[in-house]
Amino acid sequence: MTKNKSEPIVKVKNISKSFGGVKALRDGSFNLNSGEIISIVGANGAGKSTLMKLVSGSLVPDSGSIEINGVEVPRSSHSVSHMREKGVEVVYQDLALVPNMTAPYNLFLGRIPRKWRFFVDEKKMRDKTREILSQLNVTTIQDLSVPISSMSGGQQQIIAIGRAIAWGKEVVILDEPTAALGPNETEKVERVVNEVNSKFGTSFILVSHNIEQVKRLSSRIIVTHHGKTSSEFKTEEISAKKLVEAITLGK
Amino acid sequence: MNIKTILTPKVKDKLRDYVPFIAITLVILLFWGISGERFMSVRNWTFIAQQTPVIMLLAFAQLMIITTGSIDISVGSSLALSAFCGALGMIWLGDVGLILGIFTGGLIGLSNGLIISLLKIPSFVTTLAMLIIVRATVIIVSSGAAIYITKGNISGSGSNITSVTAPWLLSMGKFPAIFIIAIVVSILFWVLYERTAFGQQLKALGGKEEVLRLVGINVTWFKIKVFACAGLMVGLAACVNLARAGAATPQAGMMMELDAIAAVALGGTPLTGGYGSVVKTIIGAMTLTILRNGLTIAGVPPSWSQIALGALLIVAIAISLNRSKIDVVK
Repeated sequence: MTKNKSEPIVKVKNISKSFGGVKALRDGSFNLNSGEIISIVGANGAGKSTLMKLVSGSLVPDSGSIEINGVEVPRSSHSVSHMREKGVEVVYQDLALVPNMTAPYNLFLGRIPRKWRFFVDEKKMRDKTREILSQLNVTTIQDLSVPISSMSGGQQQIIAIGRAIAWGKEVVILDEPTAALGPNETEKVERVVNEVNSKFGTSFILVSHNIEQVKRLSSRIIVTHHGKTSSEFKTEEISAKKLVEAITLGK
Repeated sequence: MNIKTILTPKVKDKLRDYVPFIAITLVILLFWGISGERFMSVRNWTFIAQQTPVIMLLAFAQLMIITTGSIDISVGSSLALSAFCGALGMIWLGDVGLILGIFTGGLIGLSNGLIISLLKIPSFVTTLAMLIIVRATVIIVSSGAAIYITKGNISGSGSNITSVTAPWLLSMGKFPAIFIIAIVVSILFWVLYERTAFGQQLKALGGKEEVLRLVGINVTWFKIKVFACAGLMVGLAACVNLARAGAATPQAGMMMELDAIAAVALGGTPLTGGYGSVVKTIIGAMTLTILRNGLTIAGVPPSWSQIALGALLIVAIAISLNRSKIDVVK
């Protein structure tokens, strides 16, 4: 694949979105470079979720543009499946897993590999699942025939991240990935993100309320305030105190 | 050894898996004990083999829909209209016209799917309305009269009897043709349900619909497909019923929607969706048929046997449910 390194992977320009007259996002712009981990922070209702939903394709912008690898996403085909085809995946706070299905089925949700057009290629699914788990250095998940609901919260989160990483060739959006996890599991998730980032060069966009986590993981921080991407900082150049000021006051 | 140490949660889960099989064994043993040879005769089992297929095919249609977490109570009415259109098709087009019956079922299913998905009306309400509308349509279309399937030309019969000559269809209604058809359909349906991407998506949809939307699956279109497929299965059941009954009557299939749901539930499938088993649904359909048959042979009056059926349904589900995992009951 020919990838222009200087060109950002994701280029969001002046996008906006309203819901019935309420402007959730007035002007959102940011760039994500290849291999970068950036964070989007902001108070509740500042527009960060809307911004991420626009990038992941579950919302269609009213105006503005989103480019993936230099190619603008046409509004007519702006959808989750289009963004997934382009290599954009999301890990949701509430995991977006189907509880009654096994780990392989959850990893291949919406992408079930087929034999003779109609039949499920279960072997391929199991092999690929094992491959992904070993890439993530996860040894605690052995039995792939049990439904996800019988696994622990941390194990489920690994499956959710595994799915995003397996398919998110370009960008993985982490939407509050550890909000529901304990400190040990949070640490494990952060380790996996860092490893995948350095091993495969996957770019991440982290949405989090946890300032410490944002500072630990990302190299750049984008602040949303009142529906705008109001400011941007390099992580090493900003103190936690200044960052909180930027979030609350918008400067 | 104490009973608690044997009945660990794992063993209990395994036992729950076998409830449909245990239930059918008990039912058979019970009636064998009560009625002896009269129940265990070849003649009676031939009768059972003729009665099971219709309810089984309807249960398959229901299983697809229940697995997704929806329900379809229009299958009984749909069976009547499909059988009637199948019979009409045979009058107009000859034997091929029977296909019209299958298509009618598919069309009703498609309408259900479109209304549920596009107008976002819950499946129970949509199919309840459909149950009423379709039943009324049969009565209007048929003017309340039946179409008979005959062995040969009826000469000198009254002009107000509509009939179609189809000896092959009538002979199909005898054992074993109808039974063989049921087995072939069962195998094909098992493959569809357990081995295809479509079947797995049914379970995923019943597990958590919003997740399927989040990952970009077109749930609306998929639901329409499911209801249309189930409708085709009802159409097939209608053709089998036509063969067995030898007539398309406006009353055909009345209350059969409840039998279909009961068969699925007796097969251990939760009505909340996400899980299901073709084999156990077959067992459920057989249990229902055998129970009804056994009660009749034992001389239990019909109303009392309905009470017994209802009671069995509650007992079987109460045993197979794992109540420790249930927080909300609606």
